Amino acid sequence: MTIDPDPAAAPGPHAAPGVRVRDLTVVYRTPLGELPALHGVSLAIEPGTITGLVGESGSGKSTLALSLLNAVQPPGRIAAGQVEIDGLGDVTRLGGEELRRARGRHLGYVFQAAQNSLNPLKTVGKQLLDLGRSHGVADPAALVHDARLLLDRMGLPGARVLDSCQHELSGGMRQRVGIMFALVLNAHLVILDEPTTALDMITQAAILRIIREIHKERGLTTLIVTHDIGVAAEVTDRLAVMYGGRVVEHGPTTEVLGDPGHPYTQGLIRAIPRLSGDIDAARALPGRPPTLGTVPVDGCVFRERCPRRMDVCETGEPPVAWLGDRTVACHAAGAAPREKEHA
Amino acid sequence: MTAATVLPGQPGTPGGGPAGVRRNFWRGVGRVLRRKPSRLAGVAILVMFALMAIFGPIVYPAVLPRDDDALYAPPSLAHPFGTDFEGTDVLALVVTGARYVILTGVVTAVITVALGTALGLVAGFHRGRWDAALMRLTDLQLTIPGLPLLLVLSTIWKFDGPLEMGLVLGLLGWGGIARAVRSQTLSLRERGFIEAARGLGLSTTHIVVRELLPSMAPYIAMNVLIAVTGAIYAQVGLFFLGVLPFESNNWGVMLNLAVFGGGALTSAAALPYLLAPLLAILLLTLGIVLVVDAMDEIFNPRLREE
Amino acid sequence: MISGTGVTKTYRQRGAMLGARDVQALRGIDFTVPRGGAVSFIGESGCGKTTLGRIVAGLETYDSGDIVIDGTSMAPLHPRRRRRHFRRVQLVHQDPYSALNPTRTVHQTLLAPLALRARHTGRSRAWAAGRAEELLALVGIDPGYVLGRYPHQLSGGMRQRVVIARALTVDPEMLVADESVSMIDVSMRLSVLSLLKDLRERLGVSVLFITHDIATARYIGGGSELYVLYRGQVVERGPTEDVIAGPVHPYTQSLLSAIPVLHGMEVPGPERVVPTEALDAAVEDTGCLFAARCPFRTELCTAERPELTGDAHRHACVHPHRRAVIPREAA
Repeated sequence: MTIDPDPAAAPGPHAAPGVRVRDLTVVYRTPLGELPALHGVSLAIEPGTITGLVGESGSGKSTLALSLLNAVQPPGRIAAGQVEIDGLGDVTRLGGEELRRARGRHLGYVFQAAQNSLNPLKTVGKQLLDLGRSHGVADPAALVHDARLLLDRMGLPGARVLDSCQHELSGGMRQRVGIMFALVLNAHLVILDEPTTALDMITQAAILRIIREIHKERGLTTLIVTHDIGVAAEVTDRLAVMYGGRVVEHGPTTEVLGDPGHPYTQGLIRAIPRLSGDIDAARALPGRPPTLGTVPVDGCVFRERCPRRMDVCETGEPPVAWLGDRTVACHAAGAAPREKEHA
Repeated sequence: MTAATVLPGQPGTPGGGPAGVRRNFWRGVGRVLRRKPSRLAGVAILVMFALMAIFGPIVYPAVLPRDDDALYAPPSLAHPFGTDFEGTDVLALVVTGARYVILTGVVTAVITVALGTALGLVAGFHRGRWDAALMRLTDLQLTIPGLPLLLVLSTIWKFDGPLEMGLVLGLLGWGGIARAVRSQTLSLRERGFIEAARGLGLSTTHIVVRELLPSMAPYIAMNVLIAVTGAIYAQVGLFFLGVLPFESNNWGVMLNLAVFGGGALTSAAALPYLLAPLLAILLLTLGIVLVVDAMDEIFNPRLREE
Repeated sequence: MISGTGVTKTYRQRGAMLGARDVQALRGIDFTVPRGGAVSFIGESGCGKTTLGRIVAGLETYDSGDIVIDGTSMAPLHPRRRRRHFRRVQLVHQDPYSALNPTRTVHQTLLAPLALRARHTGRSRAWAAGRAEELLALVGIDPGYVLGRYPHQLSGGMRQRVVIARALTVDPEMLVADESVSMIDVSMRLSVLSLLKDLRERLGVSVLFITHDIATARYIGGGSELYVLYRGQVVERGPTEDVIAGPVHPYTQSLLSAIPVLHGMEVPGPERVVPTEALDAAVEDTGCLFAARCPFRTELCTAERPELTGDAHRHACVHPHRRAVIPREAA
């Protein structure tokens, strides 16, 4: 899948890095004590793939994305585990200046609501130069040149956009500017948090197309955090489904969607309003997703909404089972014949 | 059908009626105050001053006893803050002086907040011509230089009691709150719940009093307390300058006499006489600041119950 | 029944750089929502769908045209006298977080309009309290659980149900649901949609559904009609399933093509088009409003603005052509 712009280069900052998250636990301090937003998450992101991190509110998907930058903000903190990124090592051990340099140079992050994350008083070009200065870029002219090329590549008039302020740009244009900022320092691991929320369908399609094309052209490892399975289905190679601070299913996108193994994935897919097919086959999942305070301490986090819950689900954390190229964390997975997603 | 299945309840459901809501409110207030010891301290200070204001003049005789043998006496068991130039106990002066100071503060606060909130609400909610007219009036009020005007006024009017004093200070101080309340109203009236209330045909009175005001309550409450502080500074300042009638148990007059009469800045003898009213002002302000800290949490149900 | 004819609305936009400019939000919209029926308006942001919803709910004025509510024409009425009629139409906001007053419990929120009704109809306060519980049960939540709670203690889905229950306190003829599920967690969206469907069937409340997510329009129940709005003009209109399965206008086709394909479950439609984004301010010209973005435009398109034509399934296009653009089930 990887198309490296410079195949001769050894694995280093210019190749798509792989990411290995191991037993990551992130806790938030609340009046009720420290509660886990992520509970022993392990996830391998292969170099050169686009991985989708899908989940509802409170699933921990944004916390996981922030952990990759070691940017979990207080009252949250990484309590245990490692995040190893090729070329950077264990990010959870980085701090201060090292971490700041890694962000931008190695890791590009496009924030949720990137549409509103620009400084309203400064032109895009000025903010670009600020970024260059804080990362010690020797040649600002080259930086501006790269930025303009990136913007042109995304179908915008680059020179004009650099001279514009936030309010002069549409939502779709701001999102592209956000992507430009994430890539302009040549990062090869890019994280996009809800990249299309609040955009129109047609703008969303255009942004997703750009993400896919640029991913290929620049040889990136891309992570897309979203609540919208459709967005993930459209662009990703692999899909990690999160629920209650756990990754419950992870595998190739077509397999996860075509033959979901975890009851939550099955229920979530059945709950998506679709354009074709039988209307009555779609139905909402009963209950509501857990919040920090309501995640069960023992047993499976999904059991209260699960149609296949068994006695063991009350007490035992479900083991992670491999199904071919896929991991599923469910007591029932593999044990019972899976009903195929509608006949 | 989804609508037919009722979502499960939870044990320990809070009471639904208005009485239950009110009870929960006060329980929440208690919880918010207990969250930080400093807030309890603030409440204790304010209660102490309130008691002083109410009972102080009752406990002490109308004319405080003088001790001609102990002018500017140093602090002792009998006189914890010493005595003044006439040999009167300084503590007694501070305690009996509290009523005037605090009553002025309260009157000022009531007037500024009532006027400011009412005008701000009307201007923000009705917009248009009302808004333009009221805001011009507000700007006019804001341009009045308070202190010089008070100085001039004091030459023709004797400010006999705290009520008159509070009235004047209040009339000079509502502009800021009016502007702030108006801008809050302007932003709140675009919110979905206000629009819904209008769409449901609820009366303007209901919308303003029940829907808008509670959302601004923390803000208004904070302004009440800040206005009290401002009023206390203003009147103490005026008395200190000596432009207002002499009254020996007024905190401002005490400061004036300590500095200009007792020479507190050069000799140590009158120092307790100077420090006692200063300490009282400091404590009162501190109490207000500590309580202001809790306002946001008290009026926001989310913060209250966390 | 609620209908509109030739509804127009123009906003005067003041931009620092642009100077004063008129934006035609609605260019003569005709619509009909039968009792218990449902009509969906879809389109991009800025197409005028939200403006239309607010006008129908009486929260905004319109420049010309007429709206008829239960047989009463609004045109000849003084704006003050219109209010009572517009109350028959209730808006369900997009954001269930700002639609409920954070300082008021669910009980207080529901009781205010109910107490008003009780006063007008000579009923008791006990009736109002009882009715609040009835309405909550009707929208599928346990009154004992929510009545004493504040909005922040409820999930997005529950809040939206409370908003719907509040709208039902005045026995409305129609609910205007403006993006009412877009802020609710995916797994619970369908339950709110099926609640709207349920209210249509059980109470005969009609629904004006406004969304940019076309797929959700299929779930508000049978017999619904879909209107596709582009820059204030209806460019296609017809039975929902029919328009989605066989869109005729290139704009509708673009919208439908833009919806992500669930790879693994679906394959892309054989005639999926690549939609063109609107990145610059739209130019006002005489021809078809969509011509500048249309992949199929010819010179004919810029000559004259096409009108809505056809019977059940209507369109406003010079070169109408059914295309199969939506994804199909994977084998």
